[in-house]
Amino acid sequence: MDIATPASGGAPSLRAFDRQHINAMLDALGQLDDVLRHVVPKKRMAAGCVGIDVAPEELIATAHLLRDQLGFEMLTTVSSADLLDHIESIYHFRSLAKNWVLQLRVKIASEEPEVDSLVSVYPSANWLEREQYDMMGITFRGHPDLRRILLDDEFFGFPLRKSFHSTPITVHDRATTQVDPNRALGGEAQRNVERVVAKRLGQGEQERLHPGVPTFGSNAFYLETGQGLEPDQPGAGERGDSAQKETPPEPGT
Amino acid sequence: MAVEPNLEPSLYTEGIGGLRSEEMILNMGPQHPSTHGVLRLVLVLDGETVVQCTPVIGYLHRGMEKIFENRPYMAGPRYIDNADYLSPMINESAFSGATEQLAGIEPPRRAQYIRVIVNELERIASHLVAVGTYGLDLGASTPVLWCFREREVILDLFESLSGHRFTHNYIRPGGVLFDFPKGWLQQCEAFLDRFIDRSWPELDGLLTGNEIFEARTQGVGYIDPQQALAFAMTGPNLRASGIPFDIRVDRPYDAYREIAVEPVTEQSGDCWGRYLVRMKEMKESVRLCRVAMDRLPGGAISTRTPIAFRPPRGEVYFAVESARGEEGLYMVSDGSEYPYRAKLRGPSFVNLQILPELLRGRRIGDVIAILGSIDIVLGDVDR
Repeated sequence: MDIATPASGGAPSLRAFDRQHINAMLDALGQLDDVLRHVVPKKRMAAGCVGIDVAPEELIATAHLLRDQLGFEMLTTVSSADLLDHIESIYHFRSLAKNWVLQLRVKIASEEPEVDSLVSVYPSANWLEREQYDMMGITFRGHPDLRRILLDDEFFGFPLRKSFHSTPITVHDRATTQVDPNRALGGEAQRNVERVVAKRLGQGEQERLHPGVPTFGSNAFYLETGQGLEPDQPGAGERGDSAQKETPPEPGT
Repeated sequence: MAVEPNLEPSLYTEGIGGLRSEEMILNMGPQHPSTHGVLRLVLVLDGETVVQCTPVIGYLHRGMEKIFENRPYMAGPRYIDNADYLSPMINESAFSGATEQLAGIEPPRRAQYIRVIVNELERIASHLVAVGTYGLDLGASTPVLWCFREREVILDLFESLSGHRFTHNYIRPGGVLFDFPKGWLQQCEAFLDRFIDRSWPELDGLLTGNEIFEARTQGVGYIDPQQALAFAMTGPNLRASGIPFDIRVDRPYDAYREIAVEPVTEQSGDCWGRYLVRMKEMKESVRLCRVAMDRLPGGAISTRTPIAFRPPRGEVYFAVESARGEEGLYMVSDGSEYPYRAKLRGPSFVNLQILPELLRGRRIGDVIAILGSIDIVLGDVDR
């Protein structure tokens, strides 16, 4: 028995990534232009996906068209990205019958971002949109149950915004605890903190460029903040409080 | 994570003959042996009937997407291991595949075949846990021991391959980390032979013909195909409702482009069907492993991907077929060493959403049966 062919005798098919297959999808998406009465920008993406951009007020109409006319049965994912000047709410639809994947992007303002909810069209949007509300702070209008889903209800801030820092950035003397960890977890430490150590090179890069020198307690840190160990003292740049170590008494005196 | 469940205000009903019966709130979890992790279910019960169920999740949230944004691409696989902690190899494939699509890298053929072998082994291991603990939930305590015995062999194979039993950190953008050590393929072959000839029929005999098991699962937790699509269910849960959707078939990646996969479907759509799909998928995975080992090409196992790896600007949505469904990554690159945004679609998170619908009107004993059949991993739900 040849085990290489499955029982149904199928062979692997790369049809999903065919140029013609994707052209057919682009043609079908031409219906969108008729309904929305303007040309919707469409682009080919990696992995056989097609991306379109629509305006926020056209989202519900587009979703109805995608589900009812074009056969996108499944809303797979709701994602979002904080692009600083605006926020993108991104939806991935999947058509199982036609083997299509579509990415729909809606650009919204980053101040109090609001967009229509798709729960009325796709029930799976319920938790997916709640997650984006939780993480990115996008308010979905018309969502039946818009609460935080993964984080605590008392959590302050939206962690996936670029303005949110996952660790407190105020650094005091190493001998003291930097920030009350409970406050840090609740996001309280995000407010009114002074950015003492700027994250210039990216996390971990300083250690890689200057191996052996801890980031906090290095010369750069001392010069910038005036805190911590003197750079020229013995033991500076080492972990622990070796600078305060007493020199042993001279023997015999 | 919501602390207070969202409950209907009218909790009191007027019973027969003036007797007042009262609905009861039962809190199941987060520490409960049958919720498969730190899942909390707030159940409103009328006698033994579930009136309403509110899943409360987030107890295992680790902020994985934020972690990705603060780590280089090459460090991503190490963190994504912990998302779906029962199938870390498949998570790594998803992350590596997305990064490769972003950068336009094609891993060497040998690496692709190695990925298929370890992915299918991981699928067997994951389904073994799913089936074993499902039996345990329903009162059969032997299968779980046998399943974990078999899974231990797979984990030993992974340990000799990657150095870690659990969080392997083995599949990297551009290929895999190590080639097979000496004798690994023979050990793997021996395991597959023993598994398919002895262990699988033993497990099948314990559960498939079991009257209690069948009575607890058949006709319980029926999911309509349209409902499954509306709730975006994927993986064995969708295939048990009769829809042959499998990303390995529909949008093949890695060496699945050369190895034909047959999606396993069942028409029944109930807990029994979902169990059967998992059992049959194990057999299919064994076949895929053998085919991949037969055809294993020689050559390099990785491209020369630098540690400080900077894909060009762009975005990608890439999905692989995990043991639980579509594991997708939406990645945005701004041309730097760190992903600008990496959104992880956990299949368990999406699959769990249908639970309140399934539990409404069922008895409390079915809660465990239905929850177990969906096969969630809380690390994947909370990420």
